[in-house]
Amino acid sequence: MKPVLPLLAPVLAMTLGALGIAHAAPTVTRLTPPSELFSSGNAEPVIGRFLPGQRFDLQATVKPDAGQRITEARFFIDGKPVSAPVALRDCATGCVKGVPTEAAIATVRAVSLDKAGRHEFTVVATQGNGEKVTARGNFDVVPFDVATGGKVRNIILMVGDGMGASQRTAARIVKGGYAQGKAIAPLAMDTFPATALVKTASLNSVVTDSSPGMTAYVSGNKNNNNEEGVFPDDTTDPFDNPRIEYLSEYLHRTQGKALGIVTTADVFDATPAGNAVHTSNRGAGTGIVDQFFDDRGNTGLTVLMGGGRKWFLPAGTPGSERADGNDYAFSSSDPHTAEIVRRWGAASGAKDKGRDLIRDFQGAGFQYAATKTEMDAAAGADRLLGLFAFSNMNVALDKIDGRRGSKKGITGSVVDDYGFPDQPMLDEMTTRALGVLRRQRNGFVLMVEGASIDKQAHNMDTERWMLDTIEFDRAIQVAQEFAREQGDTLVIVTADHECSGAALIGGSMLTDAALRSAAESRGVANLRDKVVGVYEKAGFPRYRLAADGYPEATDIDYRLLVGYGANADRHEDWRTNNTPLRDSQQPLVKQEPLKWYPANPLERDDAMGDFLVTGQVPGESAVHTATDIPLSAFGPGALAFTGVIDNTDVFFKLAQAAVKGTTAPADARGGSRPRKR
Amino acid sequence: MSPVPSAPCATHPSPLATLAAAVLVVMFATLLALTLAASPAFAGPMATSSDDPVDLRFSDFFRQPAGPRGLEIADGLRAVDGRTVRIVGYMVSREDAVAGRFQLTPRPVRMSEHADGDADDLPPATVTVLLDPAQQDRIVAHQAGLVALTGRLQVGRLEGADGRVSWFRLQLDPSATATTVSLAPAPAHSH
Repeated sequence: MKPVLPLLAPVLAMTLGALGIAHAAPTVTRLTPPSELFSSGNAEPVIGRFLPGQRFDLQATVKPDAGQRITEARFFIDGKPVSAPVALRDCATGCVKGVPTEAAIATVRAVSLDKAGRHEFTVVATQGNGEKVTARGNFDVVPFDVATGGKVRNIILMVGDGMGASQRTAARIVKGGYAQGKAIAPLAMDTFPATALVKTASLNSVVTDSSPGMTAYVSGNKNNNNEEGVFPDDTTDPFDNPRIEYLSEYLHRTQGKALGIVTTADVFDATPAGNAVHTSNRGAGTGIVDQFFDDRGNTGLTVLMGGGRKWFLPAGTPGSERADGNDYAFSSSDPHTAEIVRRWGAASGAKDKGRDLIRDFQGAGFQYAATKTEMDAAAGADRLLGLFAFSNMNVALDKIDGRRGSKKGITGSVVDDYGFPDQPMLDEMTTRALGVLRRQRNGFVLMVEGASIDKQAHNMDTERWMLDTIEFDRAIQVAQEFAREQGDTLVIVTADHECSGAALIGGSMLTDAALRSAAESRGVANLRDKVVGVYEKAGFPRYRLAADGYPEATDIDYRLLVGYGANADRHEDWRTNNTPLRDSQQPLVKQEPLKWYPANPLERDDAMGDFLVTGQVPGESAVHTATDIPLSAFGPGALAFTGVIDNTDVFFKLAQAAVKGTTAPADARGGSRPRKR
Repeated sequence: MSPVPSAPCATHPSPLATLAAAVLVVMFATLLALTLAASPAFAGPMATSSDDPVDLRFSDFFRQPAGPRGLEIADGLRAVDGRTVRIVGYMVSREDAVAGRFQLTPRPVRMSEHADGDADDLPPATVTVLLDPAQQDRIVAHQAGLVALTGRLQVGRLEGADGRVSWFRLQLDPSATATTVSLAPAPAHSH
């Protein structure tokens, strides 16, 4: 904030001094929802946007003068007092570094507005000596448009984590192949009639992580990296941040829709949690899975499938990772958190690492499946919990290797080494989830995540993210067929962000046998110059699909080659890694002693081909990029998804279709248009 | 990351020389270990005397495949709780290495903590390897490929300072990490 004009300051100080009043005043250091009006004084761009009736919290951090404390704070919207209690807490404990202990945090929980348009809100805070401070911000309530079509009953969000245009194209080349420049068989997502380009920046960076990448689609608002369904605050408690109502909560509250969450990751991971859980710490595993269950009455959670069983087992059970340190418990005496329980209808939680959450789910009517076999047997379930691994599920390539009996591991296949040989594929999970959800009287929101497209792109493990993208496309096909059959289901295929700056640079000029020889001959001259075919030398790599729908082999002759623009240092030999990460490729068992850091970078990776690709990013992993990602839509309302849009726009388009009805022209190739109700 | 010499020599070795040196170090260390500790590389599951390390395999940790709930820790693993064991596995590669410890798995795993947090690909049979208490400030360089480690095994739940829970730990002997000490500080991560 600008100080008082210098010339006026002495006069003001003298006047105030004569009146016996300190000339300083309290200051508002944070005002939520975030706005440019507060942070820069500019009315635009508007940062916070909400649906009519969508709930969110108001919050202000106020710093009083030295020796003073904040005694009162009041919020106003468009000049009218907000008629809800203001919870006021100080920062004697539990605030982040840099916030003085005398600072106060004022919060009003779960407010909403029906009136569309631009709104200005203010906080007026008073300190002990009567001095006041006022700060203002703005937000929009986005109106529903007049519908020209009926309401969609179901929404399916297919989120390919880290899936940019390159990952999609690679999957098309590997799965369908090309002939004389024409794709032989398109991906399922290629057949969606509408496509938009999506901007993915988060509240605090052009490069988002998966948390705000997901929540933008289902809350309409930007979150900080690592935060889910909340705005940033100044406390250390990861569960007390100002909340924003999710699509699942909004549609469950107003329409009784159910929520399904299906992922190949640990279910506590950012993308699944970013549909139902409110926290500023995406790593708070125990609290996140507890909140999935505790607040199922708010979200309508009916199906939850993926990995992450370790968070559901009581702390004493071997393998459990439950810990009180990452759980949540709201004080009932401190209004700062008690109002979350009261106003949002949220559970108060408990530090209960000994909780048997699987049993709690079962007690609430969820059928529990630990394997694909058990999942298939749960065809008649009304509610379904599937936990197929302790952490992330194994990736498609390793699951398929396991099904084919390929023994590349120490004791067997990779899935054997992990102890989970009977894991379902994502399309099989999607089929089962839809089988449960289709019986929901009021429809549903289903989020299906292809999680390891991102995770394997971080590892620059080309074949593993390619196969995970194919697995994801098979799940898309399941959703598309459901939507085609139902006619009242809108399907969105998108990504939270791109990962690794992957680029399809060409094709190998060598057979696989010659490529192996080149790796043995080592070095750039052999592994780059003699291998990488660009332009017409790339030709059309041709993979053959097996009956299971995945390539018979990934180490084919004249293979597709991928480079990385957001890479860490890596050795490249272009061949599929036998294990989920590049193996040593040497049987020698090294002995102690171990060396201290820092290791010579050339020692960090032991690819024997000796072709080091120097990275532009530090560390060991490739990173997310700020590049726009493609979004495809199918079903009624699909054609509303065109142009270059913000990720938060998707939320409002989905809500429009579900709440008021579609506005886009009829979709000639998609599902039949629902009748106007 | 700025290049920092990892040994008090004046020049950077070529990649080939580095590799050769590493192989020599490994060979020498192997010989030393075999000579001094009489490491029973091909011994059966039980050692011949109570002082000898017991060869332990990751596949022997718990009933395979895992059941519908938690792990069922194998009796054989419980039996060697507190004993000196020798285990072969892969060092987990982390973006932010933690001083005084690292993880050992039956599979190569690279963590992307900055992007994925605790949603990781660690198998259930992951051993937290603890350095000697006198070396708690030391960061062990990631080493690709299989490593064989000898130390005292601890089985049971332990909640770390970072909030993470480990079920299997290996307390290394100080000599395991005592030979090639770098004077350089750990590399800083800027993101």
